[in-house]
Amino acid sequence: MKTILKYAAALLAITFALTPIYWLITISLKTEIDQFASPPLWFHFTPTLRHYEGIFAHDAFGRYFLNSLIVSTCSTLIALALGLPAAYGLARFRWPRDWANGISFWILSNRMLPPIVTIIPMFLMLRELRLLNSLAGLILVDVALNLPFVVWMMRGFVEDLPREIEEAAMLDGESRLGVLLRIVLPLVRPGLAATAVFCLIVAWNEFLFALILSQTESAMTLPVGIASHVTQYEIQWGAMSAAGVVAILPVLIFASAAQRYFVRGLSLGAIKG
Amino acid sequence: MSLRVENISKRFGAHDALRGVTLETHDGEFVVLLGPSGCGKSTLLRIIAGLEEPDQGAVRLQGRDITALDPSRRDVAMVFQGYALYPHMTVAENIGYPLRVRRRPSSEISAEVEKVAARLGLSHLLRNQPKQLSGGERQRVALARAIIRRPRAFLMDEPLSNLDSRLRIDMRAELKHLQHELGVVTLYVTHDQVEAMTLASRIAILKDGLLQQYATPHEIYHRPVNLFVAGFVGSPSMNLLPGHVESGFFRRAGLSIECSAGASRELTLGIRPEDVELSLIQQAPGWSAARVWVAEDLGNETLIRLSLDGAFITLRAPAGTRAEIDSLAWFRIRPEHVHWFDSKTTQAIRQWREL
Repeated sequence: MKTILKYAAALLAITFALTPIYWLITISLKTEIDQFASPPLWFHFTPTLRHYEGIFAHDAFGRYFLNSLIVSTCSTLIALALGLPAAYGLARFRWPRDWANGISFWILSNRMLPPIVTIIPMFLMLRELRLLNSLAGLILVDVALNLPFVVWMMRGFVEDLPREIEEAAMLDGESRLGVLLRIVLPLVRPGLAATAVFCLIVAWNEFLFALILSQTESAMTLPVGIASHVTQYEIQWGAMSAAGVVAILPVLIFASAAQRYFVRGLSLGAIKG
Repeated sequence: MSLRVENISKRFGAHDALRGVTLETHDGEFVVLLGPSGCGKSTLLRIIAGLEEPDQGAVRLQGRDITALDPSRRDVAMVFQGYALYPHMTVAENIGYPLRVRRRPSSEISAEVEKVAARLGLSHLLRNQPKQLSGGERQRVALARAIIRRPRAFLMDEPLSNLDSRLRIDMRAELKHLQHELGVVTLYVTHDQVEAMTLASRIAILKDGLLQQYATPHEIYHRPVNLFVAGFVGSPSMNLLPGHVESGFFRRAGLSIECSAGASRELTLGIRPEDVELSLIQQAPGWSAARVWVAEDLGNETLIRLSLDGAFITLRAPAGTRAEIDSLAWFRIRPEHVHWFDSKTTQAIRQWREL
């Protein structure tokens, strides 16, 4: 009885989570007439790939997709490359009094700020740097967005490593940097992978900054590109849904590939040994 | 003079971990740092390794001042209590790591790894991961990693304390033999006095960050400098009986023994269990009576604890001594083996003219 209830609850949760996705996929396969049928057509409609043909025929879509790919991977890599050494320093170096916690908290507090309040300063700064409407500008913003999270997460993972292992490496003749690259980095890989997935998803889905900071097609990312189908006279539900489905795919593939690390990363401890 | 620490002090917050410790070792010597937990012995080892900075004092290795040097540049190897193997590397990679860091050619590294592994009986485990090994095997890998590059000094922080007791005794003997073969000065931290006595050429006993005595195991056992050393080394430990000296006799409840201290003063009498004689039948004057508190038959000897008006006297009796609990027994302290300590200063008294 208890198991039945458990499964029922799980089924309910899954339905709740997946219905919008199902709706998105079906809309992307329906003709305009079917999209607005009332009552809605859940299963019985004639599928069409017209919307997919439409978006792929539209040159800009490929551009958006590529832009999103470049922005999210570059910003993730940079955030990890900067965040891991920072996290290591906070976790391991000797700080006067409680500075390590103070600095960590200050870094995290940057994430507590609603992003929208920083949008005007960001805009002005990027304008001064001549990085408006450029991928580099968006990458910079996404790095700033993700860095606090990387530092905070990775500090925890580094602190969970036994200190003795690093000390042994130093006595074996390894420098600090060598310890970080050859001992700490391989040992925090599960945590690093989990953090990377998070950063990628945040950057991939980021809408607000991308909308304000990139006005030209050459620098637009997918979320902004999709939203541009909301035009003055009509909302192109079919094209938007098809683009949405394509936009979900990379995240889906990446997340399932990294799932093994993700679970291990969130429940570390497997690396102690 | 191969390894020398001079006047080392270290504070952690309000706690004095080390207070002006000075030690000097000979080439190839096996020195054990012994003391109860929190006495500063591990801190001293970590300062020598460069993992902690002393507030004051200097560390010299073969004449070179290494106090400010990074751990990686000191050319000392350390074996940790938890072994500290690299979990993401195989046994062979673990052992070869110090050479790889030094960018030796890989052919040379694998040859050296095989040599060291063979010496420690690890040849069949080289491809394994550390987590597949038993405690004793991990211990050997840690040792192999320490000896492969022939450092100027070995530092060992309770390396045997995670092993079960039989393995510990085997490894202890093996370690001593290995250290003798390599002839590299070794500093070994332990709180186990048996380990210290068996391994050391000299023992440094620490308490509350102060060096109590630095001497050979024989000297420490037979001429302890104070009450702490007397009570810490030896199993069962030395009997320590506080009392009072007056007119040529040391007296306490149930016991009176001749003492050449001149003036009347508070003394503590120390006597090893093997220096107390036992008789189960009444003896002439010079013997004292006491009740048997407990008798422990160890097979090769019997440990007997006598109750003496609120104090205990432990003594070693021959195997098979049959002493019933609560029965009356007689004992005699061999006067030539008595250690005298000043009860106030806790220092040993060697010559009565100190009065």
